[in-house]
Amino acid sequence: MKILYFAHVAKALGRREDELDVPAPVTADALWERLLALRPALAPYRASIHLARNGEYAGPAGQFANGDEVALIPPVSGG
Amino acid sequence: MWTEILFFDAPWPAPPPPPESVRGAAGAWAEFHGCVRATENGRNIAALRYDIYEAMARRVLAAHLEALAQKHGLIAARFRHRSGVVPVGEAAVYAAVAAPHRREAFAALAELMDLLKTDVPIWKVEVVPA
Repeated sequence: MKILYFAHVAKALGRREDELDVPAPVTADALWERLLALRPALAPYRASIHLARNGEYAGPAGQFANGDEVALIPPVSGG
Repeated sequence: MWTEILFFDAPWPAPPPPPESVRGAAGAWAEFHGCVRATENGRNIAALRYDIYEAMARRVLAAHLEALAQKHGLIAARFRHRSGVVPVGEAAVYAAVAAPHRREAFAALAELMDLLKTDVPIWKVEVVPA
């Protein structure tokens, strides 16, 4: 799956995306485990980030699979 | 509802008037330009920088506009937002809505700008000092 980073999260990581391979669909918690293993610098942002799957906010029961576009959405501040 | 949602990485040309299709139905076309101020948290600045997840922002905004259309009877809306560096004095956001009467148009426009700050994936990323 493609992982997208935005705003200050992208700046902190020095990158705007990652590619992550999961053998089977994973829950948000399991996805976070993998994300934090890949990018430990995400840890301070986890509590404030919402996950979006294919352009829509993912609910607590959301599953994430290969082929999904997953975005890490920090608190928004448009306008 | 007629809807247009656009993102620009440079100043936009003057926003066009309401679409032809609403002529005669819209008694109000309310516009809002949100501009970058010269100070941010008490500091002088030269510009702000914005980041946008465009595909999702478009989808979330379209859903909000549909809900506002149901609530206020909107018949058209234009929305624009800048990405990248926006110098002081330039507009970072523009929104316009058409409704049969002014009260609904003003209310919907104010609600849209409030909704923008709740869940639309657009970020003020950086302050460029003066």
